[in-house]
Order: sequence, then C-alpha cells, then structure tokens
Amino acid sequence: MENLVGVKLAYLIPLLPLIGAMVAGFLGARWLKEKSHWPIWIGVGLSAVLSFVLLFGMIGKWPGRAVAVQKPGEEASLTTRVLSTEFKAMAVSVNWYQWIEAGDFKVEAGALIDPLTAVMLCVVCGIGLLITIYAAGYMKGEKGYFRFFAYLGLFIFAMTVLVMANNFVLLYLGWEGVGLCSYLLIGFYFEKPAAREAAKKAFLVNRIGDFGFGLGIMLIFVIFGTVSFFGNGPGTNSGVLELAIPGGNFLGALEPWKRQAIPWIPFLLMVGAFGKSAQFPLYVWLPDAMEGPTPVSALIHAATMVTAGVYMIVRCGTLFVPNSAAMFTIATVGTFTAIFAACIALRQFDLKKVFAYSTISQLGFMFAAVGLWSPVPGIFHLVTHAFFKALLFLSSGVVMHAMLGHLDMRKMSGLRKVLPKTHLLMLTGCLALAGVPIFAGFWSKDEILVSAWVYNKGIFLVLLFTAFLTAYYTFRLYFRVFQGPVMVPTEPAEGHAHGHDEEHGHEPVDEHLQGQAHAAAEHSHEPNIMIWPLIVLAVGAALAGFLNWPEREKSLGGFLGESPSLILAHLATDARYNAAYVLPVPFGAEEIHDAAVRRQMHSDHLKVALLSILAAGLGIYSAYSLHLKNRSRGEELVARYPGLTRALEAKFWVDEVYQAAVVEPLRGLGRLFYAIDRYVVDGFVWLIGFVPQLFGFTLKLSTQRGSLQGYAVTMLLAVVVILLVLFL
Amino acid sequence: MTVLVLQRYLAVGAILFVIGLIGFMTRRNLIVLFLSTELMFQGIAVNFIAFGRYHMGQGFFHGQAFVVFLLVIAAAEASLALGLVVLLFRRRNTLDADAWRELKG
Repeated sequence: MENLVGVKLAYLIPLLPLIGAMVAGFLGARWLKEKSHWPIWIGVGLSAVLSFVLLFGMIGKWPGRAVAVQKPGEEASLTTRVLSTEFKAMAVSVNWYQWIEAGDFKVEAGALIDPLTAVMLCVVCGIGLLITIYAAGYMKGEKGYFRFFAYLGLFIFAMTVLVMANNFVLLYLGWEGVGLCSYLLIGFYFEKPAAREAAKKAFLVNRIGDFGFGLGIMLIFVIFGTVSFFGNGPGTNSGVLELAIPGGNFLGALEPWKRQAIPWIPFLLMVGAFGKSAQFPLYVWLPDAMEGPTPVSALIHAATMVTAGVYMIVRCGTLFVPNSAAMFTIATVGTFTAIFAACIALRQFDLKKVFAYSTISQLGFMFAAVGLWSPVPGIFHLVTHAFFKALLFLSSGVVMHAMLGHLDMRKMSGLRKVLPKTHLLMLTGCLALAGVPIFAGFWSKDEILVSAWVYNKGIFLVLLFTAFLTAYYTFRLYFRVFQGPVMVPTEPAEGHAHGHDEEHGHEPVDEHLQGQAHAAAEHSHEPNIMIWPLIVLAVGAALAGFLNWPEREKSLGGFLGESPSLILAHLATDARYNAAYVLPVPFGAEEIHDAAVRRQMHSDHLKVALLSILAAGLGIYSAYSLHLKNRSRGEELVARYPGLTRALEAKFWVDEVYQAAVVEPLRGLGRLFYAIDRYVVDGFVWLIGFVPQLFGFTLKLSTQRGSLQGYAVTMLLAVVVILLVLFL
Repeated sequence: MTVLVLQRYLAVGAILFVIGLIGFMTRRNLIVLFLSTELMFQGIAVNFIAFGRYHMGQGFFHGQAFVVFLLVIAAAEASLALGLVVLLFRRRNTLDADAWRELKG
C-alpha cells in the first residue's frame, strides 16, 4: 500500500486545488479575468486524475475475495488478528507533519487512505471537475468570475481534507472549510438580499450543528486522550476508533464518569452530521441555499458537502454502532426527513427547490441506511446520488439559462422541443432519481430498502412510500416542464444577470416560439461546454448502479468493506446486525456461503426490488395522469384538499415555527443584552472614565494658569514627590 | 579619584543645578530663563564627568560620551531657543515671560 504512486502523491490531492484557488483568487481580478477557470480546471483535474490513480492502485492491491476469519466465540483473538495483519492490507495512514502540539494534545496533519477515502475522493474530485467545467460555461460573463472559481477551488481543497483526514481535528478543519465555502458561494450574488439572507441562514444553522460536533470532539479527547482515528496508523490499536470497541481493555479501565459520558459522543457528533447534511430539525438552510449559482447547488448542496455527515458517521462507525439509542435516532430522523422533505417537494414549483427537497429526502435515505448500520448501501447511495442529483441540478441550470432565469414550472412546458439535449439528460436523471431499474438510483435505493426490510419493517414501509413520492414529484416536474404543449417565458426573470443575453442579443422569445423546434438551433441554448460534462454525469447516472453488481463481495460493497472503519465497526456490533446483509466482507463470508441464508437473502432482495419497482411505477403513472394526460385533474385534486395543499405549500410552517420559537426569542434576548451592555456595562465604564476626567478638570483650573514659573514649581514638586515615593 | 574628591565635584554640580533652578523660578526675562536652564545642564554635565572619571579605571567612558552628546544638544537647542526668543520679542516688544500667559491650554 505505502508504495502505491497514488498514496505517495496523495498530499497533492488537496494541495493542487488550493494552489489553483490561490492563483485564481490573487491573480484573477487583474490578470486572469475571463481565464480564471484555468487554474481551477488544472488543479481539480490533476486531483481527479490522482484520485483515480489512487483508487485503481488500491483495487489492484485488493485480493477481491472475502477472507473468512470470524469464528463464533473467538471475538477477542479476532480483534488482535485483524488489527495486526489483514487490516493493514487496504489502509495506510500518512503523517505529513505535527500540526498542533500542546501538552497531551497532539494533532498530526495526515491522511488516512482506505477504500472509503478513495471512493469519496473520486466522487469529490471527479464530480467536482465536471462541475467546474460546466461552471465555466454557466458563469460566463458574470461579475466576480474569478471569485467564483477561487471559492470552488477552496471548496474542493476543504472537502478533500475532510475525506482524507486521519484525525477528528483535521476532519473538523475540512468540515468548517466546506461550511465557509458554502456560505461564500450561497452569498455569491451578495447584491441580492435573498442570497445574503440565505448565506447567513446556512452559516448560522450549520453553527448549531458544528457546535455539537465540536463538543463531541472535545469529549472524545477528554475520554480517549487522542483525536486520531487509528493511532499512529491502522493496526497500532491506539486510535479513538480502535479504543472505542466495546469489551476492550481500554474501556474497562476508564474512570466511571468517563464511561458514562461515552454514550453522549455519538449524539454530539450526530448533531454536526444533521446540520451539515440537512436532516430534520436543521434542514431549513438547504432549500434557501439554492439562491447560490446552480453549479454550487449541484456540487456543494447535492453531490458532496451535504454527504459529509453520512461519511462521518460511516467513518466513526465504532463510536456509533454500540449505542443502539444513537443508531435508532439516526435511522428515525433519516426516515422522517426522507418522507417529510418528499412531501414538501410535492407542491414546489421552482425546479431547484424541488431538487433541494429531493436532496434532503435522499440524504434521509442515506441516514436511514447508516442508522440501520448498512454503511455500504449508504455510501453506495451517496455515490449514485452524487451522479444523478448533480446531473439534475446542472440540467435545471441549462433550463434556467435558456429560460431567461426562470425556474417556475408553471411558466414553462414542452421544453423537449426547445432543449432536446437537456431533455434527454434530465430524463436520465429523473429515471435514476425515481428508481427505475437499470438506472443508478434503483440499485442503491434498493440496497437501503433491503436493509430496512431486514431490520425494521416500519422504516421499510415509510421509505417505500417515500420512494413512491419521489417517483411522483420527479416525474411531475419532468412531465410539466419537458412534455406537453410548448410554453416559454417571455420576460426575463428579475435579477437574471447572465451575460449571454447581451452577447446573443436575445430576440423576443415569442418569435422563436413560432418556429418552436428551430429555436434551439438559431442560437445555442445548450453550449457544448455545459452539455459535455452533463453527458458524462448522465452515463454515471445510468450505469453507476452496476458498481455494486453482480456480486457484492467483488464490487463496491466488498471494496468498501476493506475499510478499517467498517471492519472495526463490525467488530463493535452485536447480534443486532446481520453481517450477511450489509457487510459481506470479510467477516460475513461464511454466513453468505450458508445456503439457507443465501436463499433467504435472494428472496428478500427480489421481494424488495419488486415492491420498489411497483412504487416507482405507481409514482410515475400518477404523475403522468395528473400532470400530462389531464393537467386540470391535478388542480382539481389540489382544490379538493385545501388544508393539505396549504400545509405543503407553506412547507409545514417549519420556517415560521423557527421564526417564532427561535429567531424572535433570540432577537428579544439580543435586545436585552444590548440594553444591558448599553446602559449597565457602558454606564459603569463611563463612570470609571469620568473620575480621572473630573480630577484633571479641577487640576486644570487650579494649576494651569500660563505662568512658566508656576509650571516649573509644579514639575519640581512632582519630581520631589516621585523621588520620595521611590526612595523612602 | 577617591570618593572624597568625587563628592566635591558632585557638590559643585548640585550647586550649579540649584542656582539654575532658582534662577528659572524667580526671573521673568526669557533670556535669563534660558540661561538658567543652561546652568542646570552644566550642573548635570559636571555630575556625569565626575562619575565618568570615577569609574574610568574600570574601562567605562559612558559619562564622558554622554556629556559630548549633551553639549551638542545644548548648542543646537541654544540656537533654536534664542531664535524663538527673538521672534517672541518682535511680537510683543518685551522679554517678560508673563506676556505670553494666554498661551495656557
């Protein structure tokens, strides 16, 4: 492992985008200008190449077969065996330098490179590269072009640090870094009040989550005395994730209060994950974050940053898995978020808002998966979701570009004739999101549904219903926007600041409405630079499902299963989790070879797959009948349930509740603090300042009279007094 | 140089300083005031020289070096101060310091 080219050059993966960001940021305004995307393209592109070199290097070293080592009643020796030999096969920890050293508190800046990191790196850099290419077309002619690309590079840097970190503090650095870039990019159009507000909201809501995460890291340090995941590299058995395995010597020797505090760690970390990954109480920032430019929505708020919470929970599996209350909370919150956000998405009209709620809902699926300790389905869904959701967002960016900044699906229809290429791309993304077989979303959603079926039928039913809702709202959007009679908005949307209008001398859209299909040909609404990355994403959205197929032992699942995080988390589990279903390697191998289990598993998979196909088909059919065949029927249905419609349109009044329950009390508290500061504290300070002032004023009247001799006498007396004080 | 001799020099310095001080506090004439400050300067210079001489055996020349500086600064200051006095005299036609009382802050 250590000798792989990818591992040796791993430090370049975060470094190159950072250099690119610095070049674009410092030289962009004056020299690079319209070429500011080049440093980012080069930096992120090389990082993507290195990530894939790393991934394929590791696959080359991967034996690709399940190693059966687990014997019942042999757990203790298993731990030692795993930590010493097999364990090292697929993971390496590289320390670059001592970052912080203060007494016992030591933090190395270093990378943990294992299958999980490699997969995440490929997602981040690969999709990041495609989106930066797209962004060069999308942002063309915008004010602050260089600024946008500098932020993007900075984001990729922070995100790669996040997924490569080998300790909690470095993870936290990346975690905060992506939060900062998210804030900067949501507020990219800072002249728009809505964008400013959205940026602030995202930042503040994330603060709540990160506060919990920070406390969790502090608690980890207090209890374990280290913040490294795996000590000085995997196998040394001194990192947090190794020490936290129940039944080990370390936990037994802890003082009682520390042992009692351990169950709180996953809850604190969870708060951070909920904030970053927009789960139920803390999801409110994500829909508003759509104020940012569309490539940002695709990269940060759909494909990469928001999945950091899922990554973190999988990475820290050993801390979460032994705590069934924490796992139950994650699964419940994830499931609830999935259905809750899907419901809101039903009645949204803004394309990007639909996809934002859909993202929240899909993240809920991932949380449900990791909450049921099915890390492989969770990460698998993360990967496929990154493909199809980035595709959907970027396609709606093309639509927005072509429709003069409009995103309201009531104002457009039948776009398949105006934007033929985008139509096909969007259709691919919609099929993947709706979970139609062959397409990526089907496979990964199916995996999650299977683990829900095995562990918790209630969660399974809710998720299945959510899958139906997902198919419905996805195809509602598709049928409304791309099918039916052609309708195109004529007036530019307010605040639509795309340079391309001036360049093309946009003729009134009415005219090319007459020519319908010719409209696109007249001047390209679909510039190549924006379409090519989408084609790559569409191929991913269509085929990424086969990453985990046909045999899980030899595919993504088996590869991820080699990650020390997953192996150790498996050691930390008890009988609650049946390894055969979710963690086929290397420990589940024997059980899978058990014919009965295998048969049962196949029948479960088949049942679940049929049910999920049924749900998707039903959703697509209802969308078809309500939004294409007879559009007025949809409105009739809406009119019949005014209360429900109002609740959905108001997004269940969550923002209002927050406003009344959190924002207003806090504002009142702020006013109180202001008053205290202004009148009590300032008054006291003023009083202290007033005494010498008064003294000086009296002195001025009595001594400062303009006679030189008077001053000389005062000076002399003062010197005498000082001397007396000093020497007597 | 013995302590006894040193004390004599110090006494001379102190006397010079006090004469200057008293002169400064009792006289009104700007030129005389300036003269008095110069007198105080010289008292201090004598102190420096005395101590410098006293410690010379140990290889210290700080006192002497300081006095050279002091003389240079005093000369520069004298040219400036006398110039000022001439200007003040031209404005008010008197050398009395009290003529400028309204300059108090």
